[in-house]
Amino acid sequence: MAENGEEKLLAVARHIAKTLGHNESMADDILQIFSNFDGRFSREKLAEGQAGEDGSAGVAVLDRALNSIDGQISRFVAADQPIWADPADSAAFLDTIDELVGIIREWSPMASEKPIGVCLTRADDMMQQAMFRIEEEFRSLMERGAESFGLNPQGDASAMNHRFDSDEEDDYDRDFQNGDDIQIPVAQPLTDYDLIIDALPSATINDLHEMAKRMVGAGFGKACSHVYSACRREFLEESMSRLGLQKLSIEEVHKMPWQELEDEIDRWIKAANVALRILFPSERRLCDRVFFGFSSAADLSFMEVCRGSTIQLLNFADAIAIGSRSPERLFKVLDVFETMRDLMPEFESVFSDQFCLVLRNEAVTIWKRLGEAIRGIFMELENLIRRDPAKAAVPGGGLHPITRYVMNYLRAACRSRQTLEQVFEESNGVPCKDSTLLTVQMSWIMELLESNLEVKSKVYKDPALCSVFLMNNGRYIVQKVKDGDLGLLLGEDWIRKHNAKVRQYHMSYQRSSWNKMLGLLKVDNTVAGMNGLGKSMKDKLKQFNMQFDEICKTHSTWVVFDEQLREELKISLARLLLPAYGNFIGRFQNLGDIGKNADRYIKYGVEDIEARINELFKGTTAGRK
Amino acid sequence: MPGTDFQGSFGRSLLSLRRDQVDLVAGSSSHHNHQHEPSNMEVELDSFQRQVAEKFIDLNASGELLSLEWIGKLLDSFLCCQEEFRAIVFNHRSQISKPPMDRLISDYFERSIKALDVCNAIRDGIEQIRQWQKLADIVISALDSHRPVGEGQLRRAKKALIDLAIGMLDEKDPSSSSGTNLAHRNRSFGRIRESHHHRSIGHFRSLSWSVSRSWSASKQLQALANNLATPRSNDVAASNGLAVPVYTMTSVLLFVMWALVAAIPCQDRGFLQVNFFVPRHFQWAAPVMSLHDKVVEESKRRDRKNCCGLLKEIDRIEKCSRLMNELIDSVHFPLSDDKEIEVKQRVGELVEVHEDLKNGLDPFEKKVREVFHRIVRSRTETLDSLC
Repeated sequence: MAENGEEKLLAVARHIAKTLGHNESMADDILQIFSNFDGRFSREKLAEGQAGEDGSAGVAVLDRALNSIDGQISRFVAADQPIWADPADSAAFLDTIDELVGIIREWSPMASEKPIGVCLTRADDMMQQAMFRIEEEFRSLMERGAESFGLNPQGDASAMNHRFDSDEEDDYDRDFQNGDDIQIPVAQPLTDYDLIIDALPSATINDLHEMAKRMVGAGFGKACSHVYSACRREFLEESMSRLGLQKLSIEEVHKMPWQELEDEIDRWIKAANVALRILFPSERRLCDRVFFGFSSAADLSFMEVCRGSTIQLLNFADAIAIGSRSPERLFKVLDVFETMRDLMPEFESVFSDQFCLVLRNEAVTIWKRLGEAIRGIFMELENLIRRDPAKAAVPGGGLHPITRYVMNYLRAACRSRQTLEQVFEESNGVPCKDSTLLTVQMSWIMELLESNLEVKSKVYKDPALCSVFLMNNGRYIVQKVKDGDLGLLLGEDWIRKHNAKVRQYHMSYQRSSWNKMLGLLKVDNTVAGMNGLGKSMKDKLKQFNMQFDEICKTHSTWVVFDEQLREELKISLARLLLPAYGNFIGRFQNLGDIGKNADRYIKYGVEDIEARINELFKGTTAGRK
Repeated sequence: MPGTDFQGSFGRSLLSLRRDQVDLVAGSSSHHNHQHEPSNMEVELDSFQRQVAEKFIDLNASGELLSLEWIGKLLDSFLCCQEEFRAIVFNHRSQISKPPMDRLISDYFERSIKALDVCNAIRDGIEQIRQWQKLADIVISALDSHRPVGEGQLRRAKKALIDLAIGMLDEKDPSSSSGTNLAHRNRSFGRIRESHHHRSIGHFRSLSWSVSRSWSASKQLQALANNLATPRSNDVAASNGLAVPVYTMTSVLLFVMWALVAAIPCQDRGFLQVNFFVPRHFQWAAPVMSLHDKVVEESKRRDRKNCCGLLKEIDRIEKCSRLMNELIDSVHFPLSDDKEIEVKQRVGELVEVHEDLKNGLDPFEKKVREVFHRIVRSRTETLDSLC
């Protein structure tokens, strides 16, 4: 060996002299310098090689070394058994490759000398064969993990992980059906996302790394990355489908019945979280370990692995964002939006390299689009409110379904107040100092609702009933606003104004149906009026009785859904009516002749009137409370 | 060549066609007195027709049909038309909510949603091409060195070429075992393979589509084209002519999607089944139909069973790798100088396509994505303005 080393050294020296020396004498000078430098470079020795065939001694050394390596590589390449089934074999194989790499590196500077060039071609050829084999070994190891090597003692790590790998393979179908086998890492309970899966045993990862190192070193990096990502991609896709995520086109998502789609969204949310928080970071770590020291190969491979699954996830979210704007979808779209928002840091961190930039940008685009979708849904809600036709009147002036729907909808929406604020801030507007864009949005919807209700109130012929309708709906609106986030958004002022509005409706109800009754009970105290007072009072009382009956009959079928409001109404009616009525019949009874027969005309005592008032607004014919 | 006859006559017929167009836009003969001074709207709509026609005349004349560069231009043209169309819709948004425009516009957007799925499928297809590109890259790095070609290099190249050939088989019938058998035959190495099950097969077609197995590009195109008819004259009249640009844009959309599916691999292409016909009286009909016919002709010319996309670069890769495959099968070692030169020559060709793909695919994918985003945005805007 020592001799070989010297031969090599001499060959190198001769080569340098020949390359640097532009003519014979210069080369000779250089050789002279070498010989002065070290005893090993004596002119005799240097001349020896030159005298024979050019570098023949060096070539002989190279040839011998290659022969020996060739024997070993051929033995490995021809092996039927996987080389990595036996750690001793694999170590020997790697050593051989390293030796070959060393030789090629050492002799490459002299490749221009023909005999050496021929040898190097042969070496290169051997390297190709070795790489060819190592690529297969790499693939096989990737696919099988430690599965088939469990028989060989390969350290505790692989033994421990062996169970996981074999389970994963053999029980695949069963697991797919049951979906909750705890031995499958992706199906573990999802309370804690802070975990990283080791998809391959650590010994296998080390093996893979050793192989990858050789492959990248020998210029086989792309092939290695190709094999690597194909295997891992498949693993990821399996994991995604185990999470219940289907591959759906945009059209399929749009055609899916809403209830089914709701379930699909739930599954998506789970899958997106598992993918971004567990699966992708695990893949990242695996990639970094297998391609340790080759960051570009690692980044590229990682992108290749995750691209398909990421696009699958994003496509679904996109389909939801592009989908129907029907208001009932708001809540699920909010869920998707929030999931994307919460996963943004994960997208940023796991896809931080240059190759993944596209995926990161896509995620942001689709997240923004979900915000647009939410704003679109609110627009659609506005539309629905604005265009809701005033068809049949709600019997008894009661609560209109649209009021109930919109108010409960907005209350539910406001439970996601912060998200909605974010969504509306992100539209192009700039919020004012004291009101957010969401406040503006909500007040606008309330305004639309109120003006729609006003149009609807016109359906009632009786202005009193019209007022009852507006009063009822106004009351409901204020109540729903008051005890929730909606109240915080719209503010105290809004509530005060709208309470006042309800009082106004109350007043106009009284005015339109009871003022003329009060008019009947007015007693003319002027002198002129005193003439024929008895007769006029008699007539008025008759009229009063008739109209009171009428009103009570009608108004008792009307509805005031809110008990407190109903009481307030009755009390204020009693306060209005009873004193006037008491006063009237008091006067009437004291009116001489007629007064004696007053009881014949007085149909109701004051208590009777009060009792009748108490019967109002029960919605008897409406059949609802 | 079918394209030439229209190009000769087109310049002449342009003016008369335009006149017809105005007539059509005006919708009835009672508007004849308007013909001499068309309204702003008529000018606007007419200019849209003209621009669409010009774009497609350009496409007939520029670059190699179905090359990456050409399809990129096609997408650019689409984006331009889409932008013009968007402006028209925006300018006349008050009419969009009224019949018959509400119906026509919502029909257009329904079709455009279908186009979005095509765009996504095309994105998958681009990824598919990238996989082939990678295999070509391996072939190149095996053979494109300055040293003489050795046996090992050839073996390595051969393996990548076989993977490439398998990858390029049209996956029309996923249950077909032709690819699988070939896979087994060529890559089995000893007992490891035999003890292995289903998973090993996947590596050639390891790239899966982002849609389900049942999704079909050809059905999607058919749905996109379904019941697409020229606007009825009463619709044209009732919409003040707006029905015409909607029809025009729908046709452009359909044609562009059809051409994409024709060129790029995607699941179940069978694209020729889609009936595409535009009556000649539209200014843009002749150049669009001419392109259509050229593509159809190209597909007939290349109706080898395993054609997975009419894209020129795919054809080149396919041809190159087939020839190289045959060449490698025919050589014996040591390599004669002739053979060595031939190998290097083939590699040179492969390098060329590979370069074209390397430079062309990324911008192309971006453009496909842009088309997707623009379609979505235009739809969202219109929905918003309808509120």
